[in-house]
Order: sequence, then C-alpha cells, then structure tokens
Amino acid sequence: MAPTQTSESPADVKVDTAAIRAREQVTARRVVFAGSGEPLALIGAMVVLIAIFSILNPRFATIENLQNVLNQASLPLIIGLGATFVILIGSIDLSVEGVMGASGVAFVLLSANSRGGQDTGIWAWVLPLLLAAALGLTSGLIYTMLRVPSFIVTLGMWFVGFGIATILYGTDAYPELTDDTITLWVAKITFGLPNVFWVAAILTAIMAIVLRFTRFGRVALAIGNNEEIARSNGMPIIKNKIFIFIVAGLFSGLAGILATMQMGGTSNHIGDGYLFITIPAVVIGGTSLGGGKGGMFRTAIGVLLLTILNNGLVLAGVSPSYQSAVSGAILVVAIVATAWPQRGRLRIAK
Amino acid sequence: MSLSSKLTKVVSVAAAATLLLAGCTSTAGGSSNAAPLKKEDLVFVCSVINTTNPYFAANIEGCQTLGEKLGIPVEIVDAQGSSQTEISKIQAILAKGKKAVVFVNTVASSDAPVIVDAVKAAGGYVTIWWNKPDELNPADIGNNFVAFQKHSGVDSGKCTASMLSKAIGEEGGIIALPGVEDSTTSQTRVAGLKEELATNFPNVKVLDIRPSNWDPQLAYKNSKDLIAKYGDQIKGVWTADDGMQIGAMQAFEEAGLLDKVKFVSDGLYPPTVEAMKAHKGNDAIVGETFHRGYMASAIGLYTAYLAAIGEIDPSTLPAEKRDSMFKISCVTPDNIDEFLKWDSDVAGWVDTLIANGPWDTEPVPLVAGGPEVIKPEYK
Repeated sequence: MAPTQTSESPADVKVDTAAIRAREQVTARRVVFAGSGEPLALIGAMVVLIAIFSILNPRFATIENLQNVLNQASLPLIIGLGATFVILIGSIDLSVEGVMGASGVAFVLLSANSRGGQDTGIWAWVLPLLLAAALGLTSGLIYTMLRVPSFIVTLGMWFVGFGIATILYGTDAYPELTDDTITLWVAKITFGLPNVFWVAAILTAIMAIVLRFTRFGRVALAIGNNEEIARSNGMPIIKNKIFIFIVAGLFSGLAGILATMQMGGTSNHIGDGYLFITIPAVVIGGTSLGGGKGGMFRTAIGVLLLTILNNGLVLAGVSPSYQSAVSGAILVVAIVATAWPQRGRLRIAK
Repeated sequence: MSLSSKLTKVVSVAAAATLLLAGCTSTAGGSSNAAPLKKEDLVFVCSVINTTNPYFAANIEGCQTLGEKLGIPVEIVDAQGSSQTEISKIQAILAKGKKAVVFVNTVASSDAPVIVDAVKAAGGYVTIWWNKPDELNPADIGNNFVAFQKHSGVDSGKCTASMLSKAIGEEGGIIALPGVEDSTTSQTRVAGLKEELATNFPNVKVLDIRPSNWDPQLAYKNSKDLIAKYGDQIKGVWTADDGMQIGAMQAFEEAGLLDKVKFVSDGLYPPTVEAMKAHKGNDAIVGETFHRGYMASAIGLYTAYLAAIGEIDPSTLPAEKRDSMFKISCVTPDNIDEFLKWDSDVAGWVDTLIANGPWDTEPVPLVAGGPEVIKPEYK
C-alpha cells in the first residue's frame, strides 16, 4: 500500500535555512577558488619557468636580472592596463603603436632636445597626453556613435596616430633629449626596483581598485558580460565605453612618453612591436577576448610571464633563430597546463 | 530585375571597366623606347623605406639636390616600411605619363623584380640600391635596369671588427647585434665581423649574437638581457647600424658600464657624430664606417639619368658598372672631421659627382663588382 501523502501549504514547509546557508557558502568558496585558480596556475607556470631558467643559467635569478625583467615588463604592463579595460567590454584597441608614436614625438619636441627645442616644462607632458586622449576619444566616439567595430576604428586610429607622429617628426635629424636626468630616470633604481616599474605597479593597483570598487568598473564588466542587460538596467553604456577608450589612449600615450625617455630620444616608430606583446599578455593573463571576465592583476601576470620567457631564453643561450618557435611552444604548453584544471563542460572554446 | 541580378550586372560592368583600364595603361607604357629621352620629359623618382630614419632622409636630400642641379622635378616615394605601399606608389607615378628615372632603396629584395618590370614597361630607367635577389642581373633585364649598387657589407664588418678589437686590447668578449636576420646587408656585415676576428684577432670572442631587427628598442632590450647574462665579460659591442647602437649604449649607460665598454657600428648617423664629438662615455664609440644616403641616391639616380638621356649605353658597360660596390671608409674619433666635411656641402659634392661621373667621385668611388659573396664558414 502506498504511503499516504499529506498535503501541506507552502507556508507550512519547514525550511532548513542553515543547510541552505552552508550550501551557499560552499558555492561561494568554489566560485572564489574557480576565480583564483587560473591566475594561481599561471603563477605556478611562472615559478616553473623561473626554476628551469635558474638551473640553466644561475645569473637568471639575480637581483640585477629581476630589475631588468621588471624594467622590460613595465611598458607592456602600462599599455596592458588600458587594453584590459577595452577587452573587458568585448572590444579591442589596435591603435597602441600609433598613439605611442604621436605622444612620444610630441614629448621629445616639447622637451629640451638636440634639434634645439626648448623645455616647455609641464606642457611637455600635458600636451602629448591630451593628444593621446583625443585619439582615444575619437576612437570611442566613432565606435559608439557610428557603431563601427572597434578593431576597424582603432586600426584606422593607429595610422592616424602614426601619421601625426610622422608629420610632427618631419625630416630633420633624430631628436634626442638633452637632459640626461630625464633619460636615466626611467631605469633608475628606487627602493630596489626601477622607477618605471613603480609607475606601472602603482597604476596597476589604481586600475584594479577602479575596476573592482567603482561604478565605472562594474559597468564595464556588466557591458562585457551582457550589453543588452546592462543597457536595459539603465547603465550609461555609451559614456562608459567612450571613457574607456580615452583611458586606453592615455595609457598608450604615457607609454610613448616613457619609451621616449628610456631611449633618450624618439622617432615615429617608438611604439613598434608593443601591440603584439600587450594583447597576447592580456589574453594569456586570462582576460577573455569576449569581455566580462578578467582583471588588472591577471594582465600583470601575463606580461611578466611573457617577459620572463623572452629574457630566460636569451640567458639560457637559445639560438635567436629558434627563440620565436621555442617561446611559442613553451607558451602553448603553459597555457594548456594552466587551463587544464579549469576545463568545464560549459567553457566552450571557440 | 532582382536585386542580385542588378548587383551581378554592376559588378560585371565594373570588372570590365577595370580590365579595359588596365589594358590601356599597360598598352600606353608597354614599349621600351631605346631612343634617348628628352630632359624635359623626365621626372626623378626617389623611393625610400621611410622618411624618418636619418639614412633614408639623406637619400631624399641626395635626390632633391641632384634634381635641382639638373632642373628635373623629383617625386618622393615613402614606402612606410611596406613593400606593397612602395610598389603601388611607384606604379602610380609611372602611370602619370612622364618618363621616370628611378632610384629605389628597396624595402625587401623581392620587391626589386616587380619594380624593375614596372619601370621597364613604362619606358623608364631604374637603379636599385642595397637589396635585390642574387639571380636578378641588370644585364639580363636590359638597359632599363641600369644598375644595382651598394656598399660592401663585408668590408663594413671587417672595418668595425678591427677597430673594436684594437680598442679592447685584442682580447676579451664582445656581443654582436645584427639587423633583421634575413637581411643581406646585415648578413654581409656579420660575415665581415666573423672573418676579421678569425683572421686577425683570434683572442676576441663573440659571446652572443642577437639579431635586433634594426630597432633601437629591441637592441636596448637585448643589451639589457646580455648584460644580465655576461656582466663585465662584455668588453665591446658591435651593432650593424647606428640606430641599434643608440639602444645598446642606453642599456650600458643605465648599467653604469658605458665608460668601460667600447662600441662600433655602421652609418655615422647624426646622434653618433654628436656622441663621438662629445667623447661620450670616455670615448665609448671607437669606430664607424662612412657612407652617406645622399651619396647613394645621387649616384644611383645620376647613373639612371645618364642612361635615360643616352650618355651611357648600359649594354656596353663592364659588369662592375652594372652590379657595383662603392667604397666604404673606416672612421675613428681621430679622422672623423675628414669625413664630416662632405656633409657640410652636399650641393658641392653633387657638383663633383656631375663633373666626375657616378663611378669616380671621392670618397665613394666604385671599388668592385657584385654580387657580394658570403664565405660559407662566416655565415
């Protein structure tokens, strides 16, 4: 005989709230672990690389080389901060090298230089950064108002920036900064680390706070997750997107100025090669190209991983002809190893 | 009519028009005229890899000065580092109708055949500088490909290797930063470096060779890494051009090693001249080579011009005047002024070129015929 069923009204159901709370806590812990698992695995991959390179050449693990690695990682990291924000909203900024060229040439011409230019003081910083911000603003406006895909707009702005740099540069001799204190400031060691790394580290911390604790950062994440839902919730999508492109422009501009200081002079080509260090570093760090997932510290880890890889291969004496292939192969292995514990049924790779 | 068939029709008409236009263009410029051209029909075309590198900027200066002297208009082609841009801009100028006398500092060796074909089809005359495939011989193409010209890379490498070795006391470690790995110019300079060390300075050891792609920033990064790797074992730095030397010197200056290490390179760019004159880093730069962008372009353009107006018949020239190597000189801090005097009077130098002809003008007379061969042991 079947057991008699007793009917209970919903109000009579006894809810075991303690059990639900416990389950929620477990879920929350899992989410935290899942969120931090990937960066932890990347750090693990980095540690393995460091260990191998240190065995191959003991000079790898010296303070001097650490300072060298951090010095080299700084500019890609600064650019990467802006790029991370752009990628978080599901867009891309390809204008990096052009913006760097424009701001770098503007900076050197506004500083005391070998072409006879006079130091304009604070304007040597303000005007190039304004120029970079204006290029970012233009990208943002065209992208949002005219609804042109960001990779096309920013590809165009790359050449606009490069064109501005070429016009500003003209055909006179290579302009060098004549003030050695500016030139040597970038790599100068303060509290054990290069100045340029301090700049990058402080900016990383600020941008991480902005992303996590401000409405601006949360809206950016919401846009990347699902723009339609963000819009229907009344979030200021367009304003946010435009501002992100301005920020990305500013960071590229700053990198252009710092690169110019580092080299003691500049040409319109000062940004060459930076885009293709930065974007892979952001993605390797775990910021999704689809948007909505990622962060500043992840980018920092991605940049460091790539820098250590290239530095370590030189110190290990890998032939330059093989370096590109070896570097690529190690990266693929590192990423696969990193992503392996995270593979889930719903994490579809497209 | 449906939208798709309308679209098909429009595309067909556009394609037919394009074909017709292409046909007209190639017919117009199809014949290669052997008769001398009139001076007033000529235009000088000066194609450079970019306009901001000091060497290429000097190429432009040479073309413009020669153009002024001979009263011929000059069109500058800025390839912006792209073979595609270079070729399409040259083709656009050829299509304008005037007979082109062309100097090209090619972006890549593989551009040369395409450019030579286009110039020949348009009835112009071209001299290529620095890069071409070995199998592309001016004599095989005909009079329109007047000459291929360059300075010897091996001589450059030998010259700088010798000066660097002497400066570090003929023993110790050096690092080498070549340009783009598959660049012939860079390869020949590296071969000269290796040959000179093997032959005359066996105690000077190359610790590491890191191609730095003619890029000052990459040279800076590579130098930083190599300083971390070798520290004070590095007594000297050899770079394949002055742009990379700027980056390398910056890295050594930051490491506090600039006054302990010696540098040599090729090109004697303005910042290098400044550094040498200011005795930067306890006379860190000990050797350079002298050859000039304005000399290369003026020689190249003038050779092509003489063929265009019929003053020379390329088909009767000896082989070394069709595939040529011009002199390169070794410069030290002591003799630098002897060479800088040329830079202060570019117009005067071009006058001498016009008076003496393209093959006999100091300080860059013709010294040998090409192609330049790299000995297998120094590759």
